[in-house]
Amino acid sequence: MLDGLYGWAFLVPLFTALSFIIVGLAGTRMRRLEWGGWVAVAFAGASMVVGVLIGVGEMVNPGTYTDVRYTWLHLAPAPGPFPNGFTLVVGTLVDPISSLMLIVVTVVGFLVMLYSIGYMHQDRGLPRYYAEISLFLTAMSGLVLADNLLEFFLFWELVGVCSYFLIGFYYERPSAASAAKEAFIVTRVGDIMFLLGIFIYFWYYSSVAPGWAANGFLFTNGTAPYLVGVLGGNSTTLTVAGIMILGGAAGKSAQFPLHVWLPDAMEGPTTVSALIHAATMVAAGVYLLAVTSLFLGFTSTDQLAIVGVGGFTAFFAATMAVVHPDIKRVIAYSTISQLGYMVMAVGAGFAMVGLFHLFTHAFFKALLFLAAGSVIHAVGTQDLFKMGGLRKSMRLTAAAFAVGGLALAGIPPFAGFWSKDDILSAVYSQLGSHPAYWPFFLLAFAAVFLTAYYIFRAWFLAFSGDHPRDLNLPHAHEGPWTMQVPLVLLSALAIGAGLLIFLPGFQSLLLSGAGATGIPPVYGTTDLVISAVSVTLGLGGIALAWLLWGNGRVYALRATSPAQPVRRLLLNRYYFKVGYDWIGAKGVYTIARAADFFDRFVIDGTVHGFERAFALLSNRLRRIQSGVVSDYAAYVVAGLIALFAILLIVAPYVVARLGGG
Amino acid sequence: MTALPLVGFLALSTALFAVGLFGILTRRNFILILIAIEIAMNAAILNFVYFGAFSNGTGGLTGQTVAVVLIGFAATEVAVGLAILLALNRLKGTINVAQATELKL
Repeated sequence: MLDGLYGWAFLVPLFTALSFIIVGLAGTRMRRLEWGGWVAVAFAGASMVVGVLIGVGEMVNPGTYTDVRYTWLHLAPAPGPFPNGFTLVVGTLVDPISSLMLIVVTVVGFLVMLYSIGYMHQDRGLPRYYAEISLFLTAMSGLVLADNLLEFFLFWELVGVCSYFLIGFYYERPSAASAAKEAFIVTRVGDIMFLLGIFIYFWYYSSVAPGWAANGFLFTNGTAPYLVGVLGGNSTTLTVAGIMILGGAAGKSAQFPLHVWLPDAMEGPTTVSALIHAATMVAAGVYLLAVTSLFLGFTSTDQLAIVGVGGFTAFFAATMAVVHPDIKRVIAYSTISQLGYMVMAVGAGFAMVGLFHLFTHAFFKALLFLAAGSVIHAVGTQDLFKMGGLRKSMRLTAAAFAVGGLALAGIPPFAGFWSKDDILSAVYSQLGSHPAYWPFFLLAFAAVFLTAYYIFRAWFLAFSGDHPRDLNLPHAHEGPWTMQVPLVLLSALAIGAGLLIFLPGFQSLLLSGAGATGIPPVYGTTDLVISAVSVTLGLGGIALAWLLWGNGRVYALRATSPAQPVRRLLLNRYYFKVGYDWIGAKGVYTIARAADFFDRFVIDGTVHGFERAFALLSNRLRRIQSGVVSDYAAYVVAGLIALFAILLIVAPYVVARLGGG
Repeated sequence: MTALPLVGFLALSTALFAVGLFGILTRRNFILILIAIEIAMNAAILNFVYFGAFSNGTGGLTGQTVAVVLIGFAATEVAVGLAILLALNRLKGTINVAQATELKL
């Protein structure tokens, strides 16, 4: 029905790109700064219409792969590295997973932009903000629609640079500037691994699968994962390449051990956090894993590594969220933790289950962030211990945060329940054949309890009680309608997005994407025991949060409590940041000092040595030019004598040695 | 004429050339340098005469002719040298070549 639209999928990134150009160039010249914002919102809305229509089209008629491809660069076959020639294509691939992601990116992007008009209204950098966020959406939707790995990588890097711009939006603040650098540098570690993975694919597969590599690594529409199909599941090269891809995804999706940048990325405006955590930046890593697992395939070693990283991160990040006093950082840790679930699902072979969680998570995480932003906007602080009693003055925000929290905690029928339980039962179904998954499965299960606890700790601290604990806080009030409408819409989505699973079209959309892996997904067959345990754990977490923090109570550990060192360890984020800073400060700095020494004394020393030697020599030489005629005459005579000496003594000798011999 | 071999004449002109060269290199007085140049040049001219005389007529009078031409050249050279001398004297007020360092760039 809507198949004709698939060829126009490029409009999605194009609209936001136009908005980037218009707002970026003309934004500061508009009479009022918000006008640029409205332009961006209009274009994002147009993108959303196209994106959602494509998504609906996929639901009506799932599984259609429509690949629109243009040749960008063509090298004719020639001896050398490209015996078959090389064609770099750009194209848009509309398939179940890209259309699912397209819905997330465009809907969340549009709502965040709308919200920003109210949230950012007093900011002078508004045109810059809207231009950058438009570019961010362009990059992300381009990445989602990319039909080959190289195009994917280009947009991937564009996403990275946009996150750098936006995290460092308040660049006058040193902490924001350094957070932006941190995000960029840490994800760069992953990006380099991703690039190495592409190199391995290229180096190895240009002989095994020449047509594939020579076409810029197309996402082939085959029914089986392509590379595993070509090489079998035991190839060492494929394993190494898969680990590299995992490294890239871990950088972008803030998985252990490259998770450190995400909490610091809270330095950006809250709207940017909402976008980064829900629809753009971090989603890219999971999407990369999903695309790789569906189209190219992972070996079983890779799968174990991915499950391990995901399951461990899910628990590890949740522990850090338990103690944090900053409302945004608590949500940031929850993002890392939830991404861990998605990564684990992809690793266990259920890419579509992971993406389903990404889909629901995007809505409730954006909701949580925008609700937190609403609180921050109203009270001007991010410290949970200064807030309190905000439920009375901010009813809508309190309700929205609660809805987001329930969805995050996995309480039915909120969105998070369906997707998280799908992940847990999907991994559970694999435990029989992969016993090594057990510890990570248990960690992920434990994280369910922690998740429910920390998010409701934040809710009780901010909203319950009679009045703010810090009495100097300004009187809180709800934001303008541009901030309220997205909260309402996202609340509806946070409640209902999980129920979409009962929609036959949506179900078959997920199924047709998952069909490629050969492992059936588990929707509807969700294991009742698993669900019962996880819901109990979730409710238990909420109950514990209520006991400790409900009704404005504040639970403080005694200073002598044996738990204090643990608390300090968690507050200091397991000293990972300190450790990385140490590596940066001591390790890299030492190397840099050595390189500096080498540069200064060996390289520059050689250069300057030559320079000095020649300066000295020429100083000596110029003295013989005295201008006195008789000196010159003496040189002429000396030259004459030398000439005679050569002709009469040296030349006969040389001739005798060479010519005579 | 037959008593003296060519090498004796050549030794004479070599000695003359050495005297001229020594004068050119050591004198600072422009006039003395010009004289020394004349001596060195005449040593060369003498060689033409010797070789012309010792060629047993195979070269005709070439050596002697060239010698006469070279004497003319020497005269012009001295004329040019004296002109420079006058100009130098007018410019510097001295004919000491050690004080004329304008050839230095």
